[in-house]
Amino acid sequence: MDTEVYSFALKNALNEIQNICPDIKNAFMFREDGEVIAGDVNTPEETIAHVVEAFDSITEKADAIGDIESITLDSTKGRVNITCLNDLYLATVTNEKADMVYVKTVTRVLIPTILNLLDKINPVPAKNDLPKPPTIEQEPEPSPVRKTKDKVKLIEETEPEEFDEPEQIQPEVEPRSLIPEPPVNQFIVENIGGLLVPSDTVRIDNEIITQWLDLYPEKKIVDVDVETFVGESVTCKVKPIKDSKYEGKGIIQMPDKIQLNLGIKKGELVRVKPVIQ
Amino acid sequence: MTKKRKITEEFSVMTEPVAVEEATSANDLKSNLEQTKSYDGVIGYIMRNSTSATIDLKDPTKIVDYAIVSSSALDAGNEFSKLFDLGDMEDIIVEGKTAKILSLSIGENKVSVFMDKNADCAQILKKLRSL
Repeated sequence: MDTEVYSFALKNALNEIQNICPDIKNAFMFREDGEVIAGDVNTPEETIAHVVEAFDSITEKADAIGDIESITLDSTKGRVNITCLNDLYLATVTNEKADMVYVKTVTRVLIPTILNLLDKINPVPAKNDLPKPPTIEQEPEPSPVRKTKDKVKLIEETEPEEFDEPEQIQPEVEPRSLIPEPPVNQFIVENIGGLLVPSDTVRIDNEIITQWLDLYPEKKIVDVDVETFVGESVTCKVKPIKDSKYEGKGIIQMPDKIQLNLGIKKGELVRVKPVIQ
Repeated sequence: MTKKRKITEEFSVMTEPVAVEEATSANDLKSNLEQTKSYDGVIGYIMRNSTSATIDLKDPTKIVDYAIVSSSALDAGNEFSKLFDLGDMEDIIVEGKTAKILSLSIGENKVSVFMDKNADCAQILKKLRSL
């Protein structure tokens, strides 16, 4: 998964956690190696860097107690908690009157859930820093086709396993379909404006469109399905991004009208898959 | 009779906040630390101030390791408090995979208690704060 998108999702999650739990003054996440993954809007990067540095100074000398799982600091005006969650460290700062049971419930349930979800969306999360194309979910290989009682059902491998309905799945597998399942990519919405901009067309990286065309060499890709994370979707035309500054960044340029229809705005995430014709 | 009266007076004085610092002598603190050693899972402690240090660990080979990590914990705790404007540090608990450390300042003394992961930190903290 693209590190930027991964961080974006976590950053949004941290901000939302603060909305539902105002006792949390600051929240951010980092790796053991010191890389900052995401931080809320309230916490300056410089502050996070200092915390990570201080944290490192402990971890470097913590052989006697094993790898650090948590640090809890109580001060006269508040509390700092750093907890290891799924190989990442979540730091929260709360005021002195915070209901710590509630704070822990919120952070230790929501964040691991989000991390697991991100890992399921793509099992190659931001655990390494290798540059990757801005795609998040891709299924270049043809999906297996499983026969159900009444019809042949294409199993969407991009969906989490728990959404499968095992009782409907027969053990027999007949690869009858030769058309690969359309790949699903995630993009960050960016505005596009101007007098000559068509209101029914989104723009994405040409590289992605080329990858799609490679998958379906005899097909045309004119339209895409754009879906939000709350289930709103729309089919619209697609063209390559013209502005080079947006290339390779996992951006989808989207006219205001489509954003309005989907109920989203700049900076939010959407899923996009090609309509195979 | 006279002696008994004196003890009562001392006790009443100890409940006054102003007198807590005075009563928090190194000896009282050391006595409390000795008592915490009998608690389940406590591995040992380090107490130090500007003039002396007392170390009592079940495994003497790890004295240096524990001393270093406890010092780092106290420094980091003060740094965190300053960064987030949280006032004075009261205590910091660093939990590792095999053991944990409770570090705090009591008066001029800096204290770190080392314990197994499942030991009751709150009980020890209560004991140390009771001075």
